[in-house]
Amino acid sequence: MLNQIGNYSLYIALLSSILIIIQSPILLNTNNINVSGRIFSLISIQSLMIIISFIALITAFIISDFSNETVFNNSHTSKPLFYKISGTWGNHEGSLLLWLLVLSIFLFIFTITSKNLSNKYRILTLFFQEIIILGFLLFILLTSNPFMNLFPVPKEGTGLNPILQDPALAIHPPILYLGYVGTSIIFSSSLAALISGSVNKTWAKHIKNWVLISWIFLSIGILLGSIWAYYELGWGGFWFWDPVENVSLMPWFCLTALFHTILILEKREIFHSWAVILSITTFSLSMSGTFLVRSGILNSIHTFANDPSRGVFILCFLFILITLSIFIYFIYQNKIKNNFIKTFIVSKETAVLVNNLFMMFFLSVVLIGTIYPIFLEVVNNDKISVGPPFYHKLIVPFMIPFLIFMAIGPNLNWIKDKIDKINLQQLLFFILSIIISFIFLKRVGISYLFSLPLFIASIFLFLITIKDFSVKKTNLSQKISHFGFSLFILSILVNGVLAKEYSSNMKVGDERKFLNKTIKFESLEVNESKNYQSLEANFKISDKNNSINLKPEVRVYDQPQTITSEADIKSTLYSDNFLVFNILKNDGFYNVRYQIKPFMIWIWISVILISFGGVLSIVKKND
Amino acid sequence: MKIKFFFFTFIYLLSFFNFSYADNSEKVDQISKNLRCLICQGQSVYDSQSDFALSMKILIQNKIDEGKNDEQIYNFLKSKYGEWIVYDPEINKNTLLLWVLPLILFVFGGILIFRKVSIK
Repeated sequence: MLNQIGNYSLYIALLSSILIIIQSPILLNTNNINVSGRIFSLISIQSLMIIISFIALITAFIISDFSNETVFNNSHTSKPLFYKISGTWGNHEGSLLLWLLVLSIFLFIFTITSKNLSNKYRILTLFFQEIIILGFLLFILLTSNPFMNLFPVPKEGTGLNPILQDPALAIHPPILYLGYVGTSIIFSSSLAALISGSVNKTWAKHIKNWVLISWIFLSIGILLGSIWAYYELGWGGFWFWDPVENVSLMPWFCLTALFHTILILEKREIFHSWAVILSITTFSLSMSGTFLVRSGILNSIHTFANDPSRGVFILCFLFILITLSIFIYFIYQNKIKNNFIKTFIVSKETAVLVNNLFMMFFLSVVLIGTIYPIFLEVVNNDKISVGPPFYHKLIVPFMIPFLIFMAIGPNLNWIKDKIDKINLQQLLFFILSIIISFIFLKRVGISYLFSLPLFIASIFLFLITIKDFSVKKTNLSQKISHFGFSLFILSILVNGVLAKEYSSNMKVGDERKFLNKTIKFESLEVNESKNYQSLEANFKISDKNNSINLKPEVRVYDQPQTITSEADIKSTLYSDNFLVFNILKNDGFYNVRYQIKPFMIWIWISVILISFGGVLSIVKKND
Repeated sequence: MKIKFFFFTFIYLLSFFNFSYADNSEKVDQISKNLRCLICQGQSVYDSQSDFALSMKILIQNKIDEGKNDEQIYNFLKSKYGEWIVYDPEINKNTLLLWVLPLILFVFGGILIFRKVSIK
């Protein structure tokens, strides 16, 4: 029954999509309000249908309707309700339906919030957005239908991958998708603006909110994924330059560059073409991300779909979209206003260009690092791995000038700033950061090649962004985001330099000395939970003054049979105590890994600050 | 060279008397962080608790005890498992573009910007 509802509503949505695509070119030149009304009702019907099909799938998961193949493959009656619901998008078919849902809801929101803009621009945006929706609908119905019937109806499902049964990971995909899909609106509207010759201030003002919304959701989505990786994967890191992580980072770089460019476009009416190119690139990267993750080409924890036909479909779809947009760009680029005057070398405009240059560089490092191995394997069958050392080597040296530029740039004036006046205050801060870094690194005893300049640059940025709060020139949202970013880099650096780790094989009752602390394996007990058994260990970490107890778990899930280890983390403002243990083959011994991670919590807080700046910017503008 | 050789043999012999997992495990950690766990999905040997990773760590430990340096160990592993195992691809004709392309793009972009700005 639910399967039928889901299927039929998807077909109706498909029909509305085709109708809109056919009708919109005809409507382009009429200003008839009735016709736009008809398109509006088609969009409403489409969104409603997709919402219904999504609700049908969620319901099937909640009531464990195993006549649905997706539910059968990814759920189990013993699962807690929360994970039954999140199981809806914890699989290939469901996650695509979620993509589609967000696509159509965003389009609906776009339609009702763009009423004061030109008819041509709106209809063209709808047209391109509908092409994307149509592509996804066909993809879902042809290769990954979440409403496949299963007969005879099985009594029990096969369960959701236990590693995905986690609160952060339950909301991570929807948040990330909001970011990804938001870029589709940017893409469609930039093509529409290009064709209708309205790449200008008004467009910049309008699309800025969408850029911010996507950027905020993408940031939070990436953050949630990192937090999850930190406590669930059991190695105490939050970023591994895993291909799937990279794939979410690439549109982020692009969006960040785009946002800064859009600001300039809005204020000064320059960089029109570049803004359009960035808009197209951002969406292409989001789509490629989906393709790379879903096709199973990447070797990663996240790939839960390994069906080549799906990969081929997305690849073709992606190819069509990109080719289409390149064609449109070259045909209509002469419509773009070209009132470009050379900007002065010391000005806010140049600062934004420099920001873009660095963003594009980081993007290219991540992009090339991610796809090069795939490429190489196809070309001459050589398998290479590109991991953290590669990214660090290429990104870290460029981080140093980037941070310094970031400190200076926002304080420059529009159009032209003084070049000869040496800013005494900044110089003072710079000297101060040299002294602080030097003393700090000396005390810690670190002397890597790049550590000193890197610390100087990030402390400099940190000091300047704090000082900037007292300056009235820039707006508050920018100050918060930039301060958040400086805090982010600084926390990562301090965390990286001061983190301590101890690993040993222990059995119950064992005691180990580590630094000035004693780690005692006090007890081990077996607990029964609804859908797993757990081994809960109790460790006492004590030094002279105080002691804490850490209780990591090893969980044995029965559906499907999987062992996961749950780290126990005690966070304070200064540092995290992280302990995880694993079962070893030899009897009685467990591998114990204890980590002290200073300023860990500030990494999360700073990302929230960065995003909060974005939120503030949206809220403030609507006042 | 000779001194080095004696030094390593000394350490090697010492390791017989004082063998435990914790010894120079920092070195093992450092190396295993740069190695891919071949049977896992996107995890390093260091992070993984799979049989492969565990035996790998023991292997590295043994190699260190034998007195092999980092480079020798990486080379040994590369010859045994291929380039795929190391996360830090070396620069050769296959990977030249990987390393250089981002830098070229940066320079290219820089020139582009420089042409867009005026100094006067």
